[in-house]
Amino acid sequence: MRKWGFLAAVIAVATVVGAVAVGRTAAAPQRTTSTTITGAGSTFVQPLVSQWISPLGSAFGYELQYSGVGSGAGIAAITARTVDFGASDAPLSPDQFAACKGCAQIPWALSATAIPYNLPGMKSNLHMDGPTLAKIFMGQITTWNDSAIKKLNPKVSLPSTKIAIAHRSDNSGTTYNFTDYLSSVSPVWRTKYGKGVAVNWPTGTGGKGSSGVAAIVAQTAGAIGYVDVAYALKNHLKFFSMKNRSGVYANPGLRNIAAAAASDIKPAADNSLSIVNPPKRFRAAYPISTYTYVIVPEQSAKAPEMKKFLFWAVTKGQTYGPKLLFVPIPKNVLVISEKTIKKLHT
Amino acid sequence: MASEQAAVEPRRPLSGRRLNTGDLILLVTAASAAVAVVALVALIVYKVVEGAKLSFQTFGISFVWTVAWDPVKEVFGAGSFLFGTVLTSLLALALATPLSIGIALYLTELAPRYLRGPITSLVETLAAIPSVVLGLWGIIVLGPFLSQHVEPWLHDTLGFIPLFGPPSTAGASVFTATIILTIMMLPIIASITRELFLGVPRDLKEGSLALGSTRWEMVRGVVFPYARGGIAAAMILGLGRGLGEAIAVTQVIGGGVFISWNLFSTGDTLASKIAASYQGATTNVEVASLFYLAVILLVFSLVANIAAQWIVRTVNRKQGGAAT
Repeated sequence: MRKWGFLAAVIAVATVVGAVAVGRTAAAPQRTTSTTITGAGSTFVQPLVSQWISPLGSAFGYELQYSGVGSGAGIAAITARTVDFGASDAPLSPDQFAACKGCAQIPWALSATAIPYNLPGMKSNLHMDGPTLAKIFMGQITTWNDSAIKKLNPKVSLPSTKIAIAHRSDNSGTTYNFTDYLSSVSPVWRTKYGKGVAVNWPTGTGGKGSSGVAAIVAQTAGAIGYVDVAYALKNHLKFFSMKNRSGVYANPGLRNIAAAAASDIKPAADNSLSIVNPPKRFRAAYPISTYTYVIVPEQSAKAPEMKKFLFWAVTKGQTYGPKLLFVPIPKNVLVISEKTIKKLHT
Repeated sequence: MASEQAAVEPRRPLSGRRLNTGDLILLVTAASAAVAVVALVALIVYKVVEGAKLSFQTFGISFVWTVAWDPVKEVFGAGSFLFGTVLTSLLALALATPLSIGIALYLTELAPRYLRGPITSLVETLAAIPSVVLGLWGIIVLGPFLSQHVEPWLHDTLGFIPLFGPPSTAGASVFTATIILTIMMLPIIASITRELFLGVPRDLKEGSLALGSTRWEMVRGVVFPYARGGIAAAMILGLGRGLGEAIAVTQVIGGGVFISWNLFSTGDTLASKIAASYQGATTNVEVASLFYLAVILLVFSLVANIAAQWIVRTVNRKQGGAAT
């Protein structure tokens, strides 16, 4: 008898607790009168989006919630419509576009990939060019005092340390930007490995996330890798000055990224842009620069709010970028972004 | 209804006639919980197999042993991951088992009483460390330590064995992953084995000692045979942990699509490949191929489980059904 009474009590308590919980979640949306906009995706763009939360609140009364779960997960989330927007550093593939059913992709931020290295005793901003970088990542150049690297750095006495390559083991927009660049400077790379959020790396050690790659570079004398520029600066990694097509060695600074961004004339039909290895006349361009994209359904119940938010993001929102090394998107791209935003409807 | 009544009927004396409805509720609740598990497993298997369909149609059964993973050219295969999974799990098991048995023996037979409690709870705490934390520790502490101190030494002294090739990375390697897996298996095998050893009847042990055997002879002649089946089962549980561990392995193994016997080079496993790539797989074929890896992993775990049950039964039959 007593046992049954106890069981009944447990069930009763559980029911009450459950009912209270349900009641509370049901009541929650009624309490808030403001609009909540949720997004998920790229960790790369997260610092910028976080900066937008409070100004957006005071401008429109919107509450912006963003989770940096990675570009891939962001695409999955918007495909399943569990968020209002997704964010990805690599443009959607045709398969992803098809799965997303009526999504639009809008370039909304602009930054670059840095090439960090670990050579104890060496200064930062050693010189590097595209073909040599491709050969290093293909495993054809294996020591730091190789003649190809020496030629780029005539005044530096490079050590005979073995080169240790670090790359991303997870799928990543940074990998897309980096392999896009390698493909454009090295025909061999393009035919053998190509570009993508993950490629079939010929050699090297994979690290998970920017932090994983940075950890390998930091721990290994002779290591070289690639991480987004904000991450490289924040963690005080030494990185290369990259030779662009005009022969100038450029650092991934705001001015140099902006110069690269000026190079893309017209985006493709899906709004994707590639600004790696820009033509000669962009003298200051940093050659491994990239756009990152917001992905929204063209038709949604929240379209009016999303329109307001996105217009704000590509205009006023851009002013929060520079101190995080995001360059405001140039006029011609802004025009295209706004045209796409206008198409959103309920 | 009729069958439920029949099942409840014999138990009636236990709680009295009035609680028939209570018994019924209990039966229905318990049965639906059990059925839910079956349904859940069936649903998972169905979903995973269905997800893999496209890849199965594209690559066929040869996917299992093909060594390839090129998302750009859309060529996929499980060969190197299968190899990595088997290599890391079996090696980790080979390292963890003797260590665990040693720990269990010390805790049950040899350690002074005041040490047993603390060490036992420490071993169990080891099982509670989240794998992502172990992985982090693997990247920052264990990996560099192994590559700077342990790997060169092993290569110099045992380099003639292909497993101990030249150290080629700064920490992320198959070897680091194996050690991390060993640390994960250890508390599982050790705590089960300890329970088994505690279950050995005191009379048997004392009888053995009374007949003049040394402590080691007692352990070998009484404790081990008594616990053999259970230890085998514990090992399989540990192996299951090793086969399926994804996050920590992803953090320390370094990746790479090739088959190498050298423990000190990078590699990959089925679970770690899935963990690293499922987010942001860009083509349908890549997603399906990841599901295919999951199917292989499922089949693997199933085979391991069946093997475990078979081993336990065989061992027990041999000893005439003594233990577990």
